[in-house]
Amino acid sequence: MLASCLDAKAESVGVYSGRHYNSDKELYKLFTKRTGISVNLLEAKDDALIERLQAEGEKSNADVLVLVDAARLDRAANLGLFRAVKSPQLLQQVPSTYRDSRGRWFGLTRRVRAIIVNPKIVSPNSIRSYSDLANSNLKGKLCLRDRKSVYNQSLVADQLVSRGATATTNWIKAMVANLAQPVFSSDTALIRAVAQGQCGAALVNTYYVARMTSGESGKEDQLLAKNIDLIMPIPAHVNISGAGVTSSASNPEAAQKLIEFLASPTGGKGYAEANNEYPLKGYGGNPWLKRFGAFKSSGISAETLGANNKRAVQLMESNDWK
Amino acid sequence: MEIKLPPRPGLTGILSATAALNLLPLLGLSIYCLSKPEGAFRALGSEGIEQLGNTLLLLLLVGLGVGAFGSSIGWLTASCNFPGKKLLTIAQLIPLATPAYLEAAVLTDLGSREGLRLHGLGVAAAVLILSTLPYVVLLSRDSFRQSGRKHLEASRSLGLGAWASFRRVALPMAIPAITSGVALAGMEVVNEFGAMELLGVPTLSTGILQRWQGEGDPQGATSLALIALAVVAVLVAAQRWQRRLSRRWDQGGPGDHFEGWQLRGPRAWLATILCLLPPLLSAGLPLAWILRSSDQLRQENLAELFGLSARSLVLGLAAAAMAVFMALVLAIGGRWQKVAWLKASVFMAGLGYAVPGAVLALALLLLFAPLGLPPLLLLLYGYSNRFLAVAKGGLDANLERLPPSIEEAATSLGKNWQEVLRRVHLPILRSPLLLASMLVFVDTVKELPLTFALRPFNFDTLAVRVFQYASDERLGAALAPALLIILLGLSSALLLSAELKQEKIEPLPPLAS
Repeated sequence: MLASCLDAKAESVGVYSGRHYNSDKELYKLFTKRTGISVNLLEAKDDALIERLQAEGEKSNADVLVLVDAARLDRAANLGLFRAVKSPQLLQQVPSTYRDSRGRWFGLTRRVRAIIVNPKIVSPNSIRSYSDLANSNLKGKLCLRDRKSVYNQSLVADQLVSRGATATTNWIKAMVANLAQPVFSSDTALIRAVAQGQCGAALVNTYYVARMTSGESGKEDQLLAKNIDLIMPIPAHVNISGAGVTSSASNPEAAQKLIEFLASPTGGKGYAEANNEYPLKGYGGNPWLKRFGAFKSSGISAETLGANNKRAVQLMESNDWK
Repeated sequence: MEIKLPPRPGLTGILSATAALNLLPLLGLSIYCLSKPEGAFRALGSEGIEQLGNTLLLLLLVGLGVGAFGSSIGWLTASCNFPGKKLLTIAQLIPLATPAYLEAAVLTDLGSREGLRLHGLGVAAAVLILSTLPYVVLLSRDSFRQSGRKHLEASRSLGLGAWASFRRVALPMAIPAITSGVALAGMEVVNEFGAMELLGVPTLSTGILQRWQGEGDPQGATSLALIALAVVAVLVAAQRWQRRLSRRWDQGGPGDHFEGWQLRGPRAWLATILCLLPPLLSAGLPLAWILRSSDQLRQENLAELFGLSARSLVLGLAAAAMAVFMALVLAIGGRWQKVAWLKASVFMAGLGYAVPGAVLALALLLLFAPLGLPPLLLLLYGYSNRFLAVAKGGLDANLERLPPSIEEAATSLGKNWQEVLRRVHLPILRSPLLLASMLVFVDTVKELPLTFALRPFNFDTLAVRVFQYASDERLGAALAPALLIILLGLSSALLLSAELKQEKIEPLPPLAS
């Protein structure tokens, strides 16, 4: 008993995580089983965790910070909350687009912002890319989630980088003019509204759709989801959830081991699968994601998305994306 | 309140320390934000004006709603007899135990399945009225029950009916308690974050967090926070002013055999329906959700649920003890205090409730995390700071009715303040103290932002779990912990009502009259 306590004290890693899925915990247990390193977990909202880590400074017990959204990872790095890590394994497992060039954070799962349409209202063939949502024939048919959504923010950052400020401004203006309803505060409500025909088209993350089509959120949603078509925009905007070793880490080796495990095919698959996210490469064998088909990423790096987040939010605000 | 009493250095010391402890986060926050080099306040801007406008409008709607419904239900359950009264009296606590963010989540989810967009100010006001109604019901009921039954008996002997007696005698006497309840509800309105976000209503509370964390603009956030603070200060001041206008001393205890007004026919049924609506709606919405979504309910890990409940329970009890203790110190110490700045500090200390929980969490982290204080201690500090006003409101309202002659008499008999506290205040305040503990307990069990931001490793609570799932848009997983929150709240309420029933209300000592 005493020995096991001492053991736990000798090898444990503190994790602050902005992800909260029960399946994550199973994965941490697997890590403990494999390495003998126990995981202490605190899950909260990403921004609150950043504030907490910042305030705790050197006194913090967190060794690993897991965050959802590239811009938040970038912000945490700029605040000096991460330390650079040299890990050949991570460099190999995590494509360079999905990690910090200075090795402070590493992507672990990918999230794609896709377009859904109700084919009775909007022809799926009329939409191929995000820019098509600005077409005036969608007037009174488009629905969007609010500006606070980091998924929308990073999509706008993506467009800023790939298409420039003028095109992005016009795009936002046209989409806002196309709105059928005031902005929504959740993706699930958006999907339902499209399925019920109150909206013709919307922007949502693929895993919300997968959750509904797979029946995970109930038969009612599963039936509703049959009414929508998912369109993978060409190119598609990819955001990530990721992690880094904290500057205050008292056990950086164990922290690195955990991140390496999460980025490995086993860990990555586990992290991604239960929430229907894409692992760093491929589908991870998720049949629902496979049905959505392949996507071609816009190739904008997570780091670039982060660097352009503030501009993106300002652009949304000044063009009345509520 | 001026009481002619000798100085009490001991009490003044404890009072100052308690007030300081509760002012610290607020002060720290202001200093931190104002000292930032970026400088002066940002203008409110059109968004800020919209947020302020929405908050004020919500305050008005919710204030009117809870004032009218709350005091009616408080009166009915205190002084009238109608079908189902016993059960319905206890059931009034159900809305208190149901977090507003849960109601909002369930409502929007049910709505979106029916193709209804339930969002915006009207829905938000309805949700807030429902969730804050118990404050007014409880405080006014307690006041109706305790005060002036003799007056009522007199009014009955003068031929006034139930309604006239309520309007002309009981209501004016219960105004301090009702305004306390409305003020508490108002603070909850200023504070509510989760439900407002879900319902898409930009208020000061959502604006503060949006500016601070979303836009990295602590100055902008502070300017909004100070406006929120001003709004609450106005609420508290209005409450005190109202009390002063309506000050009356209790002269003697309740009559011996007051059975209450017997309501008959349609009036009785109307009373039943009115009292049934709030509990029915607030428990009914989550239940309706479950009925619609039984295929989403999953096999729960019982051991885990037990752990979550145990942590919620312990935190709730500890927070209740701390908040009620401090509220008692401030309420009684403040009553005996003549120094103006100390009185002002006591007033300010109760304003912590105005600061949204998430901002209070940040303040505590900024002040104390660098010192390496254990997170659990910070969390309890946060709870007691935040819920101090909940505990203090009821105590103040009751102390206001206590004639100073009682304390003067006790003191003139050579009793020191500790003894007066033990032999006079505590027995008299027993029921409001129990009520305050229960309110803080229930509030803590459903509290979110502080728990979320300050808890230690591996220390999830029921509320944390509910919000995690609800914000992931997975309500099915949130339901079991949500029901446990309601259950915990209700059991504490049942315990309270059993405890109060045993209580024999002794008439005040004859020297009072």
